Amino acid sequence: MRQKVMITLCGLAAALLARNLYVILLRLPDEAAQGAIYRIIFFHLPSWFTSFTAYVLAGVASILYLVKKDTRYDAFAVSVTEIGTVFTGMGLVTGMIWARVIWGIWWTWDPRLTWAFICWLVYAGYLMLRRATEDPTARARNSAVLSIFAFTTVIITYKAIDWWRTQHPGAVLSFRTGGGKIDPAMEAMIYWNWLALMLLAAVLVMVRMKQEHVQGEIEALRRHAHAL
Amino acid sequence: MDERNFTYMFYGFLAAWVILVSYVVALVGRERRIKKELENLKRMIEDRGGAS
Amino acid sequence: MTFLRQSLTMAAKDLRAELRTKEAINASVAFALVILLLFSFAFDPTAEQTREMSGGLLWIVFAFAGALILNRSFARELPNDCLDALVASPVSGAALFFGKCLANAILLLAVEFISLPVFGVFYNVWWTQRFWPLMHVLVLATWRLTVIGTMFRALTVNLRLREMMLPVLVYPMVIPALMAAMQLTTVLMAGEAIGADNLIWLRLLAGFDIIFTALGLVLVETVLVG
Repeated sequence: MRQKVMITLCGLAAALLARNLYVILLRLPDEAAQGAIYRIIFFHLPSWFTSFTAYVLAGVASILYLVKKDTRYDAFAVSVTEIGTVFTGMGLVTGMIWARVIWGIWWTWDPRLTWAFICWLVYAGYLMLRRATEDPTARARNSAVLSIFAFTTVIITYKAIDWWRTQHPGAVLSFRTGGGKIDPAMEAMIYWNWLALMLLAAVLVMVRMKQEHVQGEIEALRRHAHAL
Repeated sequence: MDERNFTYMFYGFLAAWVILVSYVVALVGRERRIKKELENLKRMIEDRGGAS
Repeated sequence: MTFLRQSLTMAAKDLRAELRTKEAINASVAFALVILLLFSFAFDPTAEQTREMSGGLLWIVFAFAGALILNRSFARELPNDCLDALVASPVSGAALFFGKCLANAILLLAVEFISLPVFGVFYNVWWTQRFWPLMHVLVLATWRLTVIGTMFRALTVNLRLREMMLPVLVYPMVIPALMAAMQLTTVLMAGEAIGADNLIWLRLLAGFDIIFTALGLVLVETVLVG
């Protein structure tokens, strides 16, 4: 059953991505000044949206774990954080490549980029903390607390373009600006590609959660083996 | 399509996908490793349980 | 009021323990002075260069000195299961946490007050020009370093790799505080007032200090006790 769900989601994601790539490369209009490189926004924004969604879910799962002490919330939190970190990496790299072309520099310490990098570092730290903690209960508890602290960076990264004058482009999507700053076809494609990446992320989270479950079994069996 | 900066766009798409695929490969590798460990543990417990 | 009294007792205990041995504060002050002196003759900055980098240099020094102090704060509780005894005592986890933060903040502020005159002398900077705004910035940023550091120390105290994990976890979370402090310190060292542009940095420091302190107080009990 689970396998079927994963394969369906995978298939849907692949089909959607294929269709999106076709539209991105062949159908969408050109941007006035940037040339082809502007099309990277169709991976840059969706990657970041996916990772922010992942971090929100991780934060919620962490709080639920601390309240309910159910290890399934912890398994979900780590899976979703790991996938979120991967998508953050994708977001950072696509952003850097765009910056190299448009600004001439790979990186700058403007508030948006700085906070984005901090966000990545903080969740990478979360994954390192998990690896460093051997006791499963302490691991779940401590990483849940860290996840809650780490989430503050996500909020600030999101709001950075509103709170500071940044080199990073300001808000363009309609839900933030009320419309008029971006071609509607481009905006629609950003959301479609976000959906595709979310479907992919969902499959990866399911795989990772299963692995976390098996890891739990292994630890239980190890304790059993030691007892024998 | 406006062909300016096409190479960079291509590298951008490629970089994003390389990162994602590397992670999937890492996941698959991890899956294989923990399945093997699970098998080993189960076999070891059976042996020990059978012996004692 | 019990909370405040318990926190102050904890803080007094930590300060007394530290002042008797002076391990952390000696290491911190020595480190801070060495770095300041090394930079002074490694780069031999002109007045203009000094003005530009004063904030950056000072706060890097303070951040690393702070890490040294934090390493001691929970490590001191590990031998003889002192930490378990503290956790088992009627003192609430939040009071324990707040007390440790107070003690660490006072120690770090002491290191900073010793470093500032040295900085003034070796770099020819008249650092008392904007004394009270500078004190505001010092206190706010030091508090942030201390709260995050103490919180994450509590998270990592039982790990084998605790010495390595603390910097890895703490520095990303304090980068914004350090950036704000560096920016404001540079401005204040140059003798200018904190203008409208820089007010957001001050607000950021104060605002997040409150948020992180609140989060810390709420969550530390979970971390220490489970």
